[in-house]
Amino acid sequence: MTDDESPDSKEFDGIRLERVREHVWEIAREDDMRVPARVLASEPLLEQIGDDKTLQQLKNATHLPGMTKHALCMPDGHQGYGFPVGGVGATDAENGCISPGAVGYDINCGVRMMRTNLTYDDLQGKEEELVDSLFANVPSGLGGGGIVEEGIDTVEAILARGMDWALERGYATEDDLAHCEDEGMRPDADPDAVSQKAKDRGKNQIGSLGSGNHFLEVQRVTDVFRPEVGEAFGLEEDQIVVLIHCGSRGLGHQTCTDYLRRIEKEHADLLADLPDKELAAAPAGSELAEEYYGAMCAAINFAWVNRQLIMHRTRQVFERVFERDWEEMEMELLYDVAHNIAKKEVHTVDGEERELYVHRKGATRAFPAGHPEVPKAYRDVGQPIIIPGSMGAGSYVLRGGEESMNLTFGSTAHGAGRVMSRTQAKQEFWGETVQDELRDQEKIYVKAQSGATVAEEAPGVYKDVDEVVRVSDDLGIGDKVARTYPVCNIKG
Amino acid sequence: MSFELRDHTADVAVEATASDLAGLFGALADGLAAAMCESIPDDGERFSLTVRAESCEAVLFDYLDHLIYERDVRAVLPVENRATVRQEGEQWVVDASARGVPLQGLGAREVKAVTYSEMAVEETPDGWRGYVVFDV
Repeated sequence: MTDDESPDSKEFDGIRLERVREHVWEIAREDDMRVPARVLASEPLLEQIGDDKTLQQLKNATHLPGMTKHALCMPDGHQGYGFPVGGVGATDAENGCISPGAVGYDINCGVRMMRTNLTYDDLQGKEEELVDSLFANVPSGLGGGGIVEEGIDTVEAILARGMDWALERGYATEDDLAHCEDEGMRPDADPDAVSQKAKDRGKNQIGSLGSGNHFLEVQRVTDVFRPEVGEAFGLEEDQIVVLIHCGSRGLGHQTCTDYLRRIEKEHADLLADLPDKELAAAPAGSELAEEYYGAMCAAINFAWVNRQLIMHRTRQVFERVFERDWEEMEMELLYDVAHNIAKKEVHTVDGEERELYVHRKGATRAFPAGHPEVPKAYRDVGQPIIIPGSMGAGSYVLRGGEESMNLTFGSTAHGAGRVMSRTQAKQEFWGETVQDELRDQEKIYVKAQSGATVAEEAPGVYKDVDEVVRVSDDLGIGDKVARTYPVCNIKG
Repeated sequence: MSFELRDHTADVAVEATASDLAGLFGALADGLAAAMCESIPDDGERFSLTVRAESCEAVLFDYLDHLIYERDVRAVLPVENRATVRQEGEQWVVDASARGVPLQGLGAREVKAVTYSEMAVEETPDGWRGYVVFDV
């Protein structure tokens, strides 16, 4: 059945969705829902989204005070806790709320892509040396330490200044800052709002991948779909790029936990009106809302530095393996974008400009060409969006689409989205077998701290990233620019 | 007391049963360790902790959160968890201990945080049942 032949409505566990237009499904407002909810998906993706508790979690999200227009689920959406993964919710910054649960525990979990002037030919024959060297030099897994291990003063400087700290310490260049969302620093960061517990956890993890679905991947560009945008992004076929996916580590996780508990104690009345404790929210304008926003922005800065340090170390590894300076290999940051975040943004709603907290939990900002917050280098073509796939499938680079501001508060998907649980994955896949097959059949070299991680992240546990990107492109919220394919992958 | 890891699309859930609340807390904590590592070595020193909170669910949340905190700052995996749970006025108190297995070389995977999502702590005809979803 083609999308045009999709039925007018679908129902999953008593939740009815009406088809508004191609790829747009709406759950009508009922009971205590403050607004309707919308799912952006093709019919096959909707079938997967309807298979777990995603839709109920999306309905629950509409209960947040100040929720504006719709609570949204992106094409890669799946069940999370409280707010669904792939969820976008814009709440009024004056009369609404800010919700740590709608940001997620891993504040500023995100992705960055670094381009090089190397081609796949340059890399062939060096894959094993490169993957071994990256694995040995980039801290990953639990207890692996960090690239920088210093005291609390360093943590506080990073929380306050983000990438500016990395620049001062020689881990970043001016050009790196210019190609990062918000130039790698949230000015609203308040290090004093981050607990000692969180700082203790972050202290030895500065510059580390962690584990789970976080990874560093060397990739080759296989397709460029929009040559003029590809040129602006510095991408061409057969080029080698590096993708880094990780977040704010224990510091961010603890910050979310701390504020969930404080909200529970200090705003029990608001919490009592919400259908799920994990949606915990602080009323806009309250002291706690301001504190959380300051702490979250500080954790955002921490995550940017985390990814920057890993990129810096990657440049050093490439220098040793290819016996050339990183500058000579033109190892430049293409872009760094967050996909677990809430930001104060101004959006036009029903003809009126309003300041909103836009929560993106497993969703990526996707501002179109001309938007003033898109870095100058990309303002004519739109913001780069990086969509990682699984280690056996392609990843994508998109650009912010013209429809994103109307449909999704300037947002699109963040990845492929899981379809299989980790426990089931370990029953169905054996880590070493997955590694061997990827190497022998696909020429993809994978190195991980644990075979269980490889099994949990096997290509078969993810949705079809091609379909996720097709829907984003069809809707005009994030337009397909290039596709990349893994060569080397390291994970915790 | 016993626990099982349960399916969850993106994260991991632990379901546990025990004859009393103390056993349930210890079993859920052991489930947390199992979610991070399948094969646990015999080494490591025991450490103890005390947590206080306003309700039974809250003290379970804080107890598991504290174990995750200890994991990161001590660089150990807390296993063989033992806990006592009591009420002091309006406060719930957990006194607990765990054996801290050094993370170095263990190949453990990270659980990021405990969540309230679908959390259950309930008395059953056979004792107690608990269910916790962890963010991975």
